[in-house]
Amino acid sequence: MRTTKPLADIEAAQDVTKPSVTRSAADSKQMRKQAGTWLKQLRAAAGLSQIDLAAQLGLKYYTFVSQVENGFGRVPTESMANWAAALQVDPSSFARHLLSFYEPELYRLLFGSEK
Amino acid sequence: MSNVIAFRREERSAAWRRHELQQIVTSLGPVLRADPARAWDTGTTEIGDPQFYLLRQEPDESCDMCISRVGSVYVVEDGEGRVLFDGANLAALGEKAVAFLRKDRGQIIASLALAWIGLRHFVHDKVEALMAEGEDMLVHVAPQLAAFV
Repeated sequence: MRTTKPLADIEAAQDVTKPSVTRSAADSKQMRKQAGTWLKQLRAAAGLSQIDLAAQLGLKYYTFVSQVENGFGRVPTESMANWAAALQVDPSSFARHLLSFYEPELYRLLFGSEK
Repeated sequence: MSNVIAFRREERSAAWRRHELQQIVTSLGPVLRADPARAWDTGTTEIGDPQFYLLRQEPDESCDMCISRVGSVYVVEDGEGRVLFDGANLAALGEKAVAFLRKDRGQIIASLALAWIGLRHFVHDKVEALMAEGEDMLVHVAPQLAAFV
């Protein structure tokens, strides 16, 4: 039976880098790579391979999981809940954390500088 | 039971073969040349399948299209994970990919053209109405000047 783990437990063990104020294309790319690394850590903590995760997400090929973890793609907003469920984390915290990587200015507007 | 298509590990090689990468770059050449803001990069999956990422430099160097080799199948996905094409013939997939990207660009141009036409009609209607009003007023207030309108 799966349980949803609070992200705080996972975040506490990780070095989470917060975005800088101004964002160039290179910054965005770097943030996506960091998001990918974080997602990879979550997947490892859940004991899933990329193929396992893709299966749970209902993807035909597992390659998009790799695209996201390598920082070249983003978790689509409409499937964030599914990703959170597959990775066994709280969906709200998961989405918020991804927002900090993908849209750091919006994250700062919504949540300030808090972690 | 997994519904994900994957193949046995021993069939894989981690890097693109030279002729594969050449085929991809050749196929996408028109797209790359037409838009200097385009770039590309490569990577691998967890189990060593190679990936090719077609990037858009601005605004955020994001991936517009990803081509992967999974066993003997080539998979073309967009930047949001939608499978666009898959098959064993890389050259054919390359052609489809270029057609898809050009259609995308064409749609953008068509949308802009429509927006421009709409704007022109709007401005034309409003300006014509204002001009007609002004002309009307001039005829009543200064008939002598109306001859010059």
